[in-house]
Amino acid sequence: MNQQQGVQMRGKRGKKPIRPGTILGKAVAYLVMGIFAFMTIYPLVWLFFSSFKTTTEFRTNMMGLPIDWTLENYRSAWKIGEFDKLIGNSVLYTLGSTVGITFLSLLTGFAFAKIKSKATGPIYGSFIIGILLTIQSLMVPLFLEVTSIDRGIGDFLRSLGLVGSGEFRLFHNTRFGVLIIYIGSALPVGIYMCTEYIRGIPSAIIEAAQIDGAGYFRIFRSIIVGMSKPIAMTLSILNIPSLWNEFALINILVSETNLKSLPLGIYKFSGGLSSDYGKQFAALVIGMLPMLLFYIAFRKQITAGVSMGALKE
Amino acid sequence: MNGTATKAAKDRRAYWAMVLPSFLIYLFVFGFPIVLAIVLSLSNYGGGKMFGGTSWGITGFRQYQRLFADPYFWNALKNNIYIVLVSVLGQLPLGFIFAYLIYRKTVKFEEFWQGVLYVPAMISTIVVGILWSIIFSPYGPIADTANHYYASAYSAKISGIFQTTGGLSDPDELTDQIIKASPSTINTVFSDPSVDLKDFLLSYEPGDTATLQKDLVNLLAPRWNADFLSKNNVAMIPICFVTLWMWVGTYLLIFLANMQKIDRGIIEAAQIDGASEMQIMGRVVLPSLSKVIANSAILCISGSLSGFALILAMTGGGPARVTQVLSIYMYDKAFMGAPDYPLANAIAIMIVLFSLALVGIMFALERRFGGKE
Amino acid sequence: MKKKICSALMFLVILSMGAYAQKTTLTVFDYIDATAPGYAENEAIWQRFIDENPDITIVKEELSNEPFHQKLAAYVAAGTLPDVMYMYPSGRSTMLHEQKLVKDLAPLLGKDYLANFIPSVTDPSGQKGKYLAELPQSISYTTVMFTNTKLLSDLGLRVPSTYAELKAMLPKLKAKGIRPVLMANKDDWVMQSCLFSTIVGRMLGDEWIDNALAGKVKFTDKEFIKALDFVETMYKDGVIGRDTIQISYGEAPALFAEGKAAFFIDGDWRQNAFLTDPSSGKALIDPKRQQTDFEYFNFPAIPGEKNPGVASAVLGCGYGISASIPAGSDKEKAAVRLLKYLYSADVQRQYLELGRYITSRKDVKSDKLEPFTVKMAAYHDAVKKTCYVLDGALDTSIYTPLNLGLQQIGLGTKTPTQVAQSVQAAVDAWRASH
Repeated sequence: MNQQQGVQMRGKRGKKPIRPGTILGKAVAYLVMGIFAFMTIYPLVWLFFSSFKTTTEFRTNMMGLPIDWTLENYRSAWKIGEFDKLIGNSVLYTLGSTVGITFLSLLTGFAFAKIKSKATGPIYGSFIIGILLTIQSLMVPLFLEVTSIDRGIGDFLRSLGLVGSGEFRLFHNTRFGVLIIYIGSALPVGIYMCTEYIRGIPSAIIEAAQIDGAGYFRIFRSIIVGMSKPIAMTLSILNIPSLWNEFALINILVSETNLKSLPLGIYKFSGGLSSDYGKQFAALVIGMLPMLLFYIAFRKQITAGVSMGALKE
Repeated sequence: MNGTATKAAKDRRAYWAMVLPSFLIYLFVFGFPIVLAIVLSLSNYGGGKMFGGTSWGITGFRQYQRLFADPYFWNALKNNIYIVLVSVLGQLPLGFIFAYLIYRKTVKFEEFWQGVLYVPAMISTIVVGILWSIIFSPYGPIADTANHYYASAYSAKISGIFQTTGGLSDPDELTDQIIKASPSTINTVFSDPSVDLKDFLLSYEPGDTATLQKDLVNLLAPRWNADFLSKNNVAMIPICFVTLWMWVGTYLLIFLANMQKIDRGIIEAAQIDGASEMQIMGRVVLPSLSKVIANSAILCISGSLSGFALILAMTGGGPARVTQVLSIYMYDKAFMGAPDYPLANAIAIMIVLFSLALVGIMFALERRFGGKE
Repeated sequence: MKKKICSALMFLVILSMGAYAQKTTLTVFDYIDATAPGYAENEAIWQRFIDENPDITIVKEELSNEPFHQKLAAYVAAGTLPDVMYMYPSGRSTMLHEQKLVKDLAPLLGKDYLANFIPSVTDPSGQKGKYLAELPQSISYTTVMFTNTKLLSDLGLRVPSTYAELKAMLPKLKAKGIRPVLMANKDDWVMQSCLFSTIVGRMLGDEWIDNALAGKVKFTDKEFIKALDFVETMYKDGVIGRDTIQISYGEAPALFAEGKAAFFIDGDWRQNAFLTDPSSGKALIDPKRQQTDFEYFNFPAIPGEKNPGVASAVLGCGYGISASIPAGSDKEKAAVRLLKYLYSADVQRQYLELGRYITSRKDVKSDKLEPFTVKMAAYHDAVKKTCYVLDGALDTSIYTPLNLGLQQIGLGTKTPTQVAQSVQAAVDAWRASH
């Protein structure tokens, strides 16, 4: 109402349409955004160059380019952080959970969207609540849950004589546990996105397939998976960076070095171990490089995906 | 193939086969921990075996009483609210304005801005946290640059004073002038400046004014106030800044994509009618994005409650707990020093309630003010 | 049918992922800083044990500083304690002692074996649980004033013997851009362990602490507030900069080595940070300068002190064996074998040479020590009387507000009286529950 009146009044007065942005406005816009872009990029560039300085040089020449370029920082950071052990885990956790999340989200989303059931209301609703919760807030009970379950099962199997005196591990300090919890933490958003997407697929296609005698699993396999490629892509693209960078959960789920992921290795370089800036910077670069490359490679898809259903860690 | 009953049963089986795995995992990761947190927050569980170990039982709301009596809980909550405010009132408006500037082609190079401003969201929060903690540290680049600047400014002042007063030939005048020139620092070095500083000046050889001047700069030049980041009310500023830094790009992308879905015709019509840029933004673009903005706000709130890794890497909640947020406070109680699981679980429940309350407020606001799609 | 096979397979996969070991596997939780000099050598020491004992598999986890304590507390809570762990005689490891989660080492190692160590470390009364829960590798002196004597003499200054002398040096030091006393106060335990304990020992004495815990005196009494006042005075005088609260534990040694401070206060273990790293051949302070330019001193005399020359010291850390290992089992034997290896004269000599600590084993001698290590042994001898390290003498629930309060005094956000009140409140709560 108001809006139309306003526009009409202007129209009656017959003012000339104003071109978007006067010169001054443009200058201010460029300046503000330029400052922001600078603040985004400069620290990262600075970090990159500083990672080639020795600690001594960093102290005396903090802002300039390195005078003696050295790769020594990378060599020792790689060794201290034991990144060779961690990279593989990071890849496994990221890809494994991404596949799991995408598959389960499509499957469950399909059931919610296209199979009529009274259970959909409450169950789907409970997943929606999950979107609003931050899994981090549950890290203490989650930790107690996984350790207690492991212990309980271990004691039980031991009483049956099925396992030896060793520690029994199922969820705590296992790759399996990390994968399950990563999958679970991303399911609410994934199921929400997939359900909404699959709802948009015409039911007529499914009904036609049913008349041909296809069961729901076959429909899922032969029709839904194919038609849901865009949403599957979006979901994966969104999940990969957040899973790769995940810290809070794996920090409590895993304590053995050979099960840790990259962010845990980098965390070693904070606080207590920060005596050596050179190594620390190198570790930070190692930590951010994979996802920057991923970003460069998939920028288009990431941009599109974020605007569809932005996820935040 | 006989009858609808079998088909219905088959459908039901398919439905559950598709839903159950996800639902069980979901219950394992979200549902059960919440129940466990509620139970433990009402108990005196002291660690160890949960079943069959040392016995523990329900003791009521004692933990919550303890929590509400603890000033550090309120401090953490306050810090959380700061972050939420900066997120909702900083990230969203900035993201919106930037998106709008790009959308209206006020600034060119759309791809560049999008590409660059989203970069921080791709970097691990641990990396971001450590990086910025170095930048803000008393030996970091900010302090370094500022101190260089202060020192050269003060150095110019001192050499001016030496010229006008004739240096050590008139020590009383020199002392007076230096005291006047260094109001902020003089008392931190000398308890009785007019006497002590004069003694200090006279301890130098009269010919060695170059060294003396240099030493005076070291001694009395103002310095980048490194401890400002440890004071109660400012300590959160770097953290809030970095939060903003990380997420503005995300909202820029979300808003821009949704602006591009707006029918160009409406905007052109408004322009022909003579609407100003502000009017187009306020009356055309903003209302058509109201739903997106509300959803983003919800996203923003739940995101801002998960600043755990960032703060852990930046400050660890210190110094003296001034930068603790609820999640760090909870982590502290559970994993640092003697574990206090009941209290930590009570905090977990408080975080859950806090986030649900905020989201509830958002929904209410949206219903009240938004809704024009 | 297919489905059943599938689920059976799934079950098998899950079971195999929840792997367990039948062979003698020892899980070890070790305290080591991966960036510290000598890290590679330490790994080699462990590798040798692994090579010599093919029947034992070692699964080792390493952390240091705060994350170590956090993790250990988590293990205790979850009841998943590692088989062998590095631990403190009290302080942060109190729960291991009090809940008797680790075994008594005295019968396991045997009298003859323990006779190799100086008597004070094998005396169980020094440990929280009053039994030999861990065998201390050393005695730790927690207050050492690392002093850059070269820097002082270049400025015509001499080592201060009183606090007033220390304070009088400030203008001269600051004029050269040198900070007087460096401490890594970002971690809140540092002020308490490395300086305040000695202040309390000097001004009040151990007996006073015992009385306070018995309820005979209160932390809100004037004497204790005076000790806190002294901390505030040091900050106010600028002897310790308030910005030290931003300096992390790892950062400080490099600053001191670069000559950015005349004095550096930390525990005796910190000498290790300055020594030559065998893997790179580099040292923060090279041995020649260690010999000529630096010395260790006790903190200067404090105004109003009753016990001059006292410095805080505590039994060192060592390894303990989880009590959940069945007595007489292969695992127990393996754990004992590991401990006997770690405490052997040979390994202890290597640790001494790496500068990790001054070993408590009597039969260890070496001529390959760097000057800082030799000087540390001399410093130990020079301190004639020791006092409590407060986080060893007080319960966690009591020293937590104390640590925090000392930091708040540094920030200027709490007064000594307020801090004393919060400590006394913690004491009252602790006494009520004991």
